Amino acid sequence: MKYFIAYVSVAVITFALGYKAYGLYFSDLSPVQPIPFSHKIHAGTNKIPCMYCHIYAEKSRHAGVPNVKRCMGCHSIIKTDSPLIQKLASYWEKKEPIPWVKVYNLPDHVYFPHKRHVKAGVPCQRCHGDVANMDRITREVVPFGLPYGMVSPLKMGWCIECHNNEAQKYIGTPVKNGTDCWTCHK
Amino acid sequence: MAGFLERITERWKVYREPGFFKKLDHKWTMVIDLDKCNGCGACVLACYAENNLPVVGKDECAMSRAFSWLRIERYIDGEYPDVKVKFIPVMCQHCSKAPCETGCPVYATYHNQDGLNVQVYNRCVGTFTCATYCPYDVRRFNWRSYKFEQPLDHQLNPDVTVREMGVMEKCTFCIQRIRAAKDKAKDEGRTVQDGEVLPACVQSCPTGAMIFGDLLDPNSKAAKLAKSPRRYRLLEELNADPSVIYLKRVMKEGPSKHG
Repeated sequence: MKYFIAYVSVAVITFALGYKAYGLYFSDLSPVQPIPFSHKIHAGTNKIPCMYCHIYAEKSRHAGVPNVKRCMGCHSIIKTDSPLIQKLASYWEKKEPIPWVKVYNLPDHVYFPHKRHVKAGVPCQRCHGDVANMDRITREVVPFGLPYGMVSPLKMGWCIECHNNEAQKYIGTPVKNGTDCWTCHK
Repeated sequence: MAGFLERITERWKVYREPGFFKKLDHKWTMVIDLDKCNGCGACVLACYAENNLPVVGKDECAMSRAFSWLRIERYIDGEYPDVKVKFIPVMCQHCSKAPCETGCPVYATYHNQDGLNVQVYNRCVGTFTCATYCPYDVRRFNWRSYKFEQPLDHQLNPDVTVREMGVMEKCTFCIQRIRAAKDKAKDEGRTVQDGEVLPACVQSCPTGAMIFGDLLDPNSKAAKLAKSPRRYRLLEELNADPSVIYLKRVMKEGPSKHG
């Protein structure tokens, strides 16, 4: 019996560690983008506001990826000799969109309007982390050189927790009908 | 473990009591004037297009697996020269005391604060209990994962999930449109106004036989029509308190002129 408990506990601990490790190291939390666009330079050093490029965040369900025209608006003048900007310009000349890889991907059965959250005053950093200090957008938190956890787990409990408690910080009350299934599911 | 389950059951018991939501935000109601209905079937088609319903084909239909959330019942009285035909569009009645809600073991169907009987697809495990409890036969079951072939997947509505095998589903009163209307109203800082929410069937009805509105708003068109003396509801003796109100078709006695 003693050995049985030992075996089971070892198995459980191994499974838990493996599950955690799988989530952190083997799922694509920071995918490689076609152009190594740096949010650190744009949002951090040059302090471009989020809504300058992600223009649909306060109007629509989707925050929106900026079109190539918006990139070229600045980069037809700025730093045109860099090879990466020339790669961007080649997309512009070919009239093709840049195949950016989506990082924060919600399942199809979730209805998440960016508009409602932006208008309620939730800062973008609440869910997307400190983007202004990220070279490549990542969902990992790396405090001491070791990936420790996720910026936002995008699990249902995490959503509900904010709808019930943290929402009071932004709108004064818990979200109205915030825990009704059909508020967020579709 | 047993204590945990008990706690959950205790907590959920309150939701099962009829009239759990003492104060509803809205009470969405559909009024169907059968005098105006000519049985064209535009509502059925609109429902298919809006809610990503698969067309299952002849073989499946033969096994009564047709997928229409909204069907048109036909009643034909009499022989050829004197025929009287009546049409009744039947969709989920969104009963206030819904029999289906009492049966679900996983609480996948419940009543929400809008007076709607809603079905949560993610939670459904497909026990079929709700469909057997439903007196109106309006619940549809996904017997398999129906595929939308190449060009057809472009016409899918992005606001509605494509359901998979083993999930029960039914008319939602186009809840995605209700949600969109509420969203717009919230932006403009007002409440949802009468005639702002149009489910797909109501929008497509060529004769205007279907009227959708909020019963709690006394000035809405639906609330006024609901007081009509022609008013009746399907299988009212079951006391399920449906939200869909029919206005009786008034027909002349004796032989009909139209043949």
